Amino acid sequence: MQQEKITESASSPARTALASLAALVFPGLGHLVLGRWGRGLLLALSLTAMFVLGLLMKGHIFTPVAEVKLSYVYTVLNMGMGLPYFLCLATGFGFTPQDAIQTAEYGNTFLAVTGALNLLAAMDAFDIAIGRKQ
Amino acid sequence: MTHFTALVVFSGLVGIAFGALSSEHSDTRERVLYGLKVFGSFVGIGFGIAWVLYFLPR
Repeated sequence: MQQEKITESASSPARTALASLAALVFPGLGHLVLGRWGRGLLLALSLTAMFVLGLLMKGHIFTPVAEVKLSYVYTVLNMGMGLPYFLCLATGFGFTPQDAIQTAEYGNTFLAVTGALNLLAAMDAFDIAIGRKQ
Repeated sequence: MTHFTALVVFSGLVGIAFGALSSEHSDTRERVLYGLKVFGSFVGIGFGIAWVLYFLPR
């Protein structure tokens, strides 16, 4: 029964791949590709706002440091944001730690959680595309 | 930005994202209520932790 339900509303493999990839490129884009405008716009606005606020609070984007194991986790989470992360990487913006500033830790949390939420959004877009979810 | 402002802004944005991504809630009203519940939980638990920390000696 569940299998039938999945097959009925599933997208083509190409559309599924496109939606999943788009969701990883920019928050909400996967949902927009699938025609879920409301959810897509909400995700785009909330996650972009969170990313910008993280940078304004002087949070920084992490790069892996061999001695600091947690930096690997933060790097993966930061990369989860997609295009904004790679724009920062290309320009070098946001990579300098500013730990002396009081709000820097808040900013780091905002930036890491943004990436984690975007990874969740990409999985959500995949589930919608294969028909597992409405 | 104060710690409290950061908490409220963070809770609001995460509440919006959780409401949009929820698998358990199908219609818009349920999603909005779930988002508000997430927001309230973050702020409420934040207050709870702050209360406990207040009584701990520095």
